[in-house]
Amino acid sequence: MKQIATFIVNEKRYELAIEPHMLLVEVLRDELGLTGTKQSCGIGNCGACTVLIDGKPVLSCLTLALTVEGKHITTIEALAQGTALHPIQKAFVEHGAIQCGFCTPGMILSAKALLDKNLNPTDREVKYALSGNLCRCTGYVKIIDAVLAAAEAMSKEANT
Amino acid sequence: MKRFEYLAPKMVEEALKMLSDCGHGGAVLAGGTDLLIAMKRREVNPHYVVNIKSIPDLDYIQYHQEAGLRIGAITNHSAIGDSPVIRDKFDLLATACNKIGTPQVRNMGTIGGNICKAGPSQDTPPALLVLDARVKLVSLSGKRIVPIDEFFVGPFKTVLQGAELLTEIQIPNPPPVSAGCYKWATKTVAVDETLVGVAVLITLDSADGVCTDIKIALGSVAPTPMRARKAEEVLRGKRIDDRLIKQAAQVAAGETRPRSRADYRRRISRLLVSEAIAETWKKIR
Repeated sequence: MKQIATFIVNEKRYELAIEPHMLLVEVLRDELGLTGTKQSCGIGNCGACTVLIDGKPVLSCLTLALTVEGKHITTIEALAQGTALHPIQKAFVEHGAIQCGFCTPGMILSAKALLDKNLNPTDREVKYALSGNLCRCTGYVKIIDAVLAAAEAMSKEANT
Repeated sequence: MKRFEYLAPKMVEEALKMLSDCGHGGAVLAGGTDLLIAMKRREVNPHYVVNIKSIPDLDYIQYHQEAGLRIGAITNHSAIGDSPVIRDKFDLLATACNKIGTPQVRNMGTIGGNICKAGPSQDTPPALLVLDARVKLVSLSGKRIVPIDEFFVGPFKTVLQGAELLTEIQIPNPPPVSAGCYKWATKTVAVDETLVGVAVLITLDSADGVCTDIKIALGSVAPTPMRARKAEEVLRGKRIDDRLIKQAAQVAAGETRPRSRADYRRRISRLLVSEAIAETWKKIR
């Protein structure tokens, strides 16, 4: 039985007809066409499906869509402003932190959640914040470099 | 997943009525990090999913000078791990909650869900055991308070009845001059199932005095999380020293009943109990 539910995604409101079994990741990708969020393991291990809800990283593959009605959902599509990349995205590009790109949206959102709270993370804090996001390609070093560089860039911007 | 009906009660009474009406066809949804996986694998196929995360009254951390800590069942592990009062006065519980899963899992998973899952290798039960936690269980016929060491009866088995909800975790203030810690062993550094978990709470009669009480609990070394009561006897009422720590650790390892990798788990239990007691004792002094 479908029910009408209101979703707030990247600050836009959508009224959708949703069945109880629909997962948030399916609604974002299939109903809203926001395919930046990826499905990979489907059981909460890889973090590719990470989105932010009220600023906190959660796994959209283990979230029934109806349970997040009315909450503020942020997907990777929220970060760039037109063609202007978010500092974290820019740092990922500049530091070679993207190979196949599949882990990237989730990785960047987890990094964003960290930097929104702490603009001066230690190496260890970055690793801890990204510990729920697996990358098969890069070996993580450049991802961590990118996050630390983004932190510095965002710090500078905050102080000017 | 098989198709189901979704129910989102706003109050505990409403949820209890729904669960009672659903009978065996109902499942309680909190964080979803366990239930959704089981449903995807069709291990669990409820006709009704009752979302209790929609009950605002169940998400809280309250501290009272006299009564101690009260935590609502749907409080997330990340909230507990970040809570200033828990980090200050019950820090081993914050440590245990911060160990669970990944940041995403900690933002979704709830302490009530964790306790009710009753997995033998979980991190919160050993901490809750040494803190003498109690859980409040409510049903349409009333409520009962169950000490945490009576709650777990087997792997993934608890005393929770069909239409009963765990609503609150109650933790008394440890006596003055107490400290505790939670330590664990895993294969990988950041994220992994706990192979051996050890929680310790020590109470002294003064900063460098006699150990008036000690509680040692272990996870992932028995069908349920367990207290090492014989090991506790080694130190209770004595002045702690390295020889007694070594002895207690040995006794604790002997009390474990691990199923898989038994020899490894016994050895690591001995090591971790020894480290946990030493570290806690240092904290108090």
